[in-house]
Amino acid sequence: MQPVADTSQLLKGVLDLAVLAVLEGQDSYGYDVVRRLRESGLSEVGDASVYGTLRRLFEAGALNTYVVPSDEGPHRKYYGLNDRGRRALADSTKSWTTLTTALNQLLDGRSAKNGR
Amino acid sequence: MADETPHNDVARYAAAVRDALSDLPAAKRDLVLEDLEDHLAEVAAESELPLASRLGPPEEYAAELRAAYGAGHQPPMLRFPRTRRLLRRTLFQLSGWRTYQAVRDYLPELRPAWWVLRAYLAVIVLAVMLRGDQTIHPIPNPFTSGGILELIAMAAAIVFSIKLGRWSSRRKDWLSWPLRAGNAMVALSGLIALGSMSTLPTWADTYSANSGMPDAYAPGPITNIYAYTVDGRPLESVLLYDQDGRPLVIDASGYGIISNYPAAADGQPITNEYPLTQTRMDGSGIVPPRVAVPPAVPSPSPSPSPPASPSPSPNPSSNR
Repeated sequence: MQPVADTSQLLKGVLDLAVLAVLEGQDSYGYDVVRRLRESGLSEVGDASVYGTLRRLFEAGALNTYVVPSDEGPHRKYYGLNDRGRRALADSTKSWTTLTTALNQLLDGRSAKNGR
Repeated sequence: MADETPHNDVARYAAAVRDALSDLPAAKRDLVLEDLEDHLAEVAAESELPLASRLGPPEEYAAELRAAYGAGHQPPMLRFPRTRRLLRRTLFQLSGWRTYQAVRDYLPELRPAWWVLRAYLAVIVLAVMLRGDQTIHPIPNPFTSGGILELIAMAAAIVFSIKLGRWSSRRKDWLSWPLRAGNAMVALSGLIALGSMSTLPTWADTYSANSGMPDAYAPGPITNIYAYTVDGRPLESVLLYDQDGRPLVIDASGYGIISNYPAAADGQPITNEYPLTQTRMDGSGIVPPRVAVPPAVPSPSPSPSPPASPSPSPNPSSNR
């Protein structure tokens, strides 16, 4: 097993959740998703990772997509959550909350021990 | 790469990413990369910097994309990974040059020319294989049966080759492996066949044509013999014999020259007394040659020794 050393490694596992969360609030196109993820603090998120995740979620049927013509630049392919996506987000959120709660307790307990 | 336009950069980068994912099934890859160009264009629109300096090398981008997309398998371990990476990077750099792009753009236009050429080469190769390269020429001679056959075969082959070319270029994978191998084989063997029938004169021709001697020195028929002493005095009335004691006779009559042999005491002609007294058939006289005798080593006795005649005493009458 690879050591979970840096943020990018940790990020990989939760990128689906992050992308779904970003799209829940507002439909968006690929590069905008990258930007919003970075704005919310995930500065190390890779462009290719987001693009790949979007494509995978789309093919898995969690996203719907539509093209919006734009005056300047290329037409934009927007992604948005469909029912399946919303369900996936809800399930993942539950798992994530359980996981983080457990991990937080674990880490708190350790720091409490260390602080003694 | 001052001529790099943003659009160009995107196309190039996308092509390199697509290339790095070439191991995926085509349908799947097309699906994954469906809006890669549009996506990259968005990225490119944000900054003046080239994509590669912001997103990293295209291969790494492809690897990250593959991991995030969960494309199942990593690229198979290829041999010489370092060489391949270097090659790919070089190619990526190269693809930014305007000259390279120009050449790459007009190469497809030469495709029909190649279709004709490969048909021609294939027939030439076939002809050389069947009939040997002695009788085959780069341009068939239409006045020989073989040449006509070649020309007809070429016409047929060209028609077929163009059909094949059009058919295969309509398909997406137009350069499938068998076709590629066939093309390479025709090109290679065609070059070899053409090389074997070079239009330049052969070595033997060159040799005899340019032996470097003026005509006067070309060995011609011997019609007379002039003997000189080593110090340059011409000798008259010399009797010549070969190693077996037979008189040395020159028959110059075949060259329009009449020899007048002196008569011996018994009335028989002496045919080996040189120089021969000769006239041409038309009656004109023959001028003795002017010769350059090499400088003589001073010899104690320049007196001509009597001919060391072979044991049987010279008997001119024994000849003719």
